Amino acid sequence: MKFDLDAVIIEHDERDSPLARRVLAALAPGIPVEYVADGREAARPRPGTDPFGAGKRRMVLMRRRAPFLMGCPAGSAQFACCGYQVMILASNCPMDCSYCFLQEFVADNPAFQVYSNYSAGFDEIDRMIHAAPARQFRIGTGELADSLAFDTLTALTRDLVPFFAARQTVTLELKTKTDEIHNLLELDPRGRVMVSWTLSPERVWRTCEHRTAPPAARIAAAGKVLEGGYRVAFHFDPIIAYEGAERDYAELIDNLLDVIAPAHIAFFSLGGLRMTPALKSAARRRFPADPMLLGEDILARDGRLRAFTPLRLRLYRILAERFERAGAPVPGYLCMEAPSVHERVFGAAPSNPATIGARLAHGRSTTDAPKDSSQ
Amino acid sequence: MASSTRTRTSAGRRQAHGIRGILLPNHDTALNLDDAIRALAAARRLPETHLARWLAMDEPSRSAFLELARTIRLRTGQIILALDLLGEIAVRERKRIPEILAAPELMRITARAGSAPERARAFIGALRALRFPRLRQASERLERQIAALRLPRGISIVLPRELGSDVLTIRLEVTRATDLERGLAVLADRGAAIARIVAMLGGSDEV
Repeated sequence: MKFDLDAVIIEHDERDSPLARRVLAALAPGIPVEYVADGREAARPRPGTDPFGAGKRRMVLMRRRAPFLMGCPAGSAQFACCGYQVMILASNCPMDCSYCFLQEFVADNPAFQVYSNYSAGFDEIDRMIHAAPARQFRIGTGELADSLAFDTLTALTRDLVPFFAARQTVTLELKTKTDEIHNLLELDPRGRVMVSWTLSPERVWRTCEHRTAPPAARIAAAGKVLEGGYRVAFHFDPIIAYEGAERDYAELIDNLLDVIAPAHIAFFSLGGLRMTPALKSAARRRFPADPMLLGEDILARDGRLRAFTPLRLRLYRILAERFERAGAPVPGYLCMEAPSVHERVFGAAPSNPATIGARLAHGRSTTDAPKDSSQ
Repeated sequence: MASSTRTRTSAGRRQAHGIRGILLPNHDTALNLDDAIRALAAARRLPETHLARWLAMDEPSRSAFLELARTIRLRTGQIILALDLLGEIAVRERKRIPEILAAPELMRITARAGSAPERARAFIGALRALRFPRLRQASERLERQIAALRLPRGISIVLPRELGSDVLTIRLEVTRATDLERGLAVLADRGAAIARIVAMLGGSDEV
């Protein structure tokens, strides 16, 4: 997959970093390269009609001044969380999904930043492992950026995969909407690396997920990395409750299970489209003709616009039941939903986040109790 | 469509959902459509961003909305809400605003007798139902289920606002111990039906 870049900006002090050298060596001819003292300034929005969109085409290679590891920013005590740990290697994304939360989250620094001192993140992980040697962690790089977009340029996976492959208590999750798996197929993950795809029906992909790989290409890529020794997982998030969504999402799961046997799926996650009013405004400004941003969303208790509850939960149940009927149990969890919703969908209360995180790292069930069919 | 008492329209220029020329009250000077919209916006103190949105519509839409705002005398907040809802319905349904305003349920409200504030309120309600059709249907279905329980005075079942959560509220009002016993007995008797409503709220049925 190819993405357009208008410019590459590199911090002076990082020009000899391995990342900068790799990017410069692989960069297509004609793309201007600029050197600056402080990448943070270059990452700020620039005047124009769409500063966020323009930021996506401006790659800034810079030092990260904050820690690389953090708890998932979506986590909250009001939700049944999955214990996901996030490693921030980059910020923003060359793809442009109309619903993307980054439109609000990184509005003040929208350039596509890649952090050249990422080996400091490896040190943080080692310290975390050392502090809790008995615990299993699931660490992902796909929260503020797509894990694989531009991997042909940055080749970050060539350092990430061997690092995680050598450690027994951490699982790396590379989350993506691309089919950029070339580097992965040349590495040996030794069972410690999982590649997960966000999947949406064809109609959502065509309407909302600009510059991403088509759903069928994502599924095909999953089949290939599975053969390459990686574990695979799938995120149905955001689920958009448009007219006909029930049929389309069920068909999407059927298409997935035609290619990947349920026994080979580490887990799946479900999450309804949720937007703060500010995000909805930003998204509507950038994509005024996108009907998917205009579902039957109402302001929920958490201050986010979500499809009204029976509709949203109906979709969750349809998808969860589809996996349940697939012939082999596939662990599932809900993103940014209350424990009561988890219980309604999966028939049992969720475990605590740390336990869920550890179980997902192993591909085990996220609930404690057996399913009660009366729910 | 009735004309506002504050505005006289020329019947010869008027079309089904648009006004080609508009006469401002107490003036005989014909102003163009945008001047008439600006005049109404100024009278209502409509914020500039919303006025800009109105003026950015195509001419039939600008005109139809002006006619509507005058006919049922939409207040400032109602103009803003109606602009939002109409704009969203137009994108969702891929329809133009005059087409949306021609929906029978909306036409009935604008054409019927009654006070302008009452019609304005009803219009916004009907527009909201067009914007959220499945929410309206689901709410009506649940309300019917609750009504079918035929609960006695002192017991009520309240759905979450706009079905925004999965929490059903059951309220029991008592003044005597016998009220409590009777109320709990009624709830126990209707337990299966209430459980069914709880399940519907959790997406057990087609929505």
